[in-house]
Amino acid sequence: MIELTVDERWDLIDKISKQTVKFKKYKSTLKEVIGELTVKPLTGIPIAIAVLYGFWSVFSSFAGFFTDGFLVKLFDEHWLPWMQGTFPGGLHNWFYNLMVDVGHIQNGALVASDSCFESFGVLTSGLFVPFGVVLPAIFIFYLMMAVLEDVGYLPRLAVLVDTVLHKIGLHGYAIVPTILGFGCNVPAVTATRILETRKQRFLMMTLLGIFIPCGAQLGIMQEVIPEYTGLIILYLLFGYFVTGFILNKILPGRTPEILIDVPPYQRPLTRNVMTKVWMRLSSFLKIAVPFVLLGCLIVGVMYLTGSMDWLANLFGPIFTHWFGVPKETVGPLVAAFMRKDLAVAQLSAIEMTKYQMVTSVVLVSIYFPCLATLAMILKEGGKELLGALAVLVASTFIYGGLIHLIWILLGVA
Amino acid sequence: MMDKWTIGKIYFGILGVVTLAFGIADLLVTAGGSSFSLGILEIPNDMFRGGWGGLVVLFAGLFYLSGLSGIKNLSEIHQFSKVVMGSILIWVVAGCDIFVMITGSIPGEEAWFNTLEGFFGTYAPPYPPAILLLPFSLAVIYYIKKGRVE
Repeated sequence: MIELTVDERWDLIDKISKQTVKFKKYKSTLKEVIGELTVKPLTGIPIAIAVLYGFWSVFSSFAGFFTDGFLVKLFDEHWLPWMQGTFPGGLHNWFYNLMVDVGHIQNGALVASDSCFESFGVLTSGLFVPFGVVLPAIFIFYLMMAVLEDVGYLPRLAVLVDTVLHKIGLHGYAIVPTILGFGCNVPAVTATRILETRKQRFLMMTLLGIFIPCGAQLGIMQEVIPEYTGLIILYLLFGYFVTGFILNKILPGRTPEILIDVPPYQRPLTRNVMTKVWMRLSSFLKIAVPFVLLGCLIVGVMYLTGSMDWLANLFGPIFTHWFGVPKETVGPLVAAFMRKDLAVAQLSAIEMTKYQMVTSVVLVSIYFPCLATLAMILKEGGKELLGALAVLVASTFIYGGLIHLIWILLGVA
Repeated sequence: MMDKWTIGKIYFGILGVVTLAFGIADLLVTAGGSSFSLGILEIPNDMFRGGWGGLVVLFAGLFYLSGLSGIKNLSEIHQFSKVVMGSILIWVVAGCDIFVMITGSIPGEEAWFNTLEGFFGTYAPPYPPAILLLPFSLAVIYYIKKGRVE
């Protein structure tokens, strides 16, 4: 065997590489350059604004197409009258009230509801909301989310927002659970596993539970108060960043940097996209829908037993004086503990000023995570749930009061 | 005689100015509060389509113009990519506008489905700016293919 010195080895390497490797100037492809444009802040932010515009536009058109175009007609004109006609009992029967229709008072008489938004029965509103309103909304939401992931845009968005999210103790990939939360908070809480430290996961779960309105809420908001939806989302996003910033300063723990592997842009694969959509939809169907039905039942029982009125009287002064919303909103706000989406629908029926409506809906959003999310936080976060609840109570009072204060300073409350 | 890349530079320069003007008009009309209609053009005044959508159209115009600044012709890939991005932004807004038309044209007011007259009526003019810009923005596909060949 020939022994080579270090220099001789390098000479040999040079000879081999000259014979085997071709050197020429690298020419970037259009796909690569566009990939760079989406990551640089100056060009990436306008592109992100455009992508989010497309995302929201398709979301609202698609959800409106199915809900307003077909499902409202199906439930209000066919399903509700059929249930009212065939279900045993009547408006004066408590079981009928729970399952089909609580009715409402008109000219001193109890009359049947004419829409599933008003009936509040487990088999009417309880089915209409998850399947008639929420399902089309979260289907299109997760479909677009999966397409963006598969195309390779989401990792670039993560790089783009990394600096901003570090200010609140998170990193770029926290954008994934955040965006998922706009569909349903249940898979979003599961997606917090993407974050490395306990501090980050606690922060993310708390912010998700409080400030990110789910597809159910967004769907109902678009349906009953479309003119205020944008303003309400702005308020919530503001709260998301401010609370995150404060929590990051208070909470002990690490917020490590991330190294993101940004894949090249590619054509999405139908099989991948559909698998992801089904995985997330099944999580909603298995966990969230039973809780929605249970929540509907509990709210109905609370109304029928009078415990809702009792709670309304108990909390009335706080709501009217601290939050500046009418006394009538106490019922829906208490019910929001079980059913945020229906609570928004209930609020829309109460006579309020624009500012009180915005405050009430913001309160419904930050008031409490829905039961399904609560169960998931308990499963994923365990004992950290208590901490999250403490933050939630403090945020609700401070943020709700702050909005009221802003209205007072503006002279509109 | 001008080559096709130079013609492209002039073409996208004009398109960039028009797109930018439409974006600004979108934002001004939204700020004004009432929609604007002229011939086959209609500028919406709602915060979402007029405001947010208008902002995207404005960005598209800026992408076109910044892609053309400081270059001799359009074939320089880093600058050309900005022109492509300008077109993509128009496709996003126009695609959303067309999707709104499609979803609005199928269901009826009272009945399950729209009448034939109502269905076709949805696609009749006036159109928002992004839809009018859409056919002109498609020219970029020719230049993408031309770039691949070269």
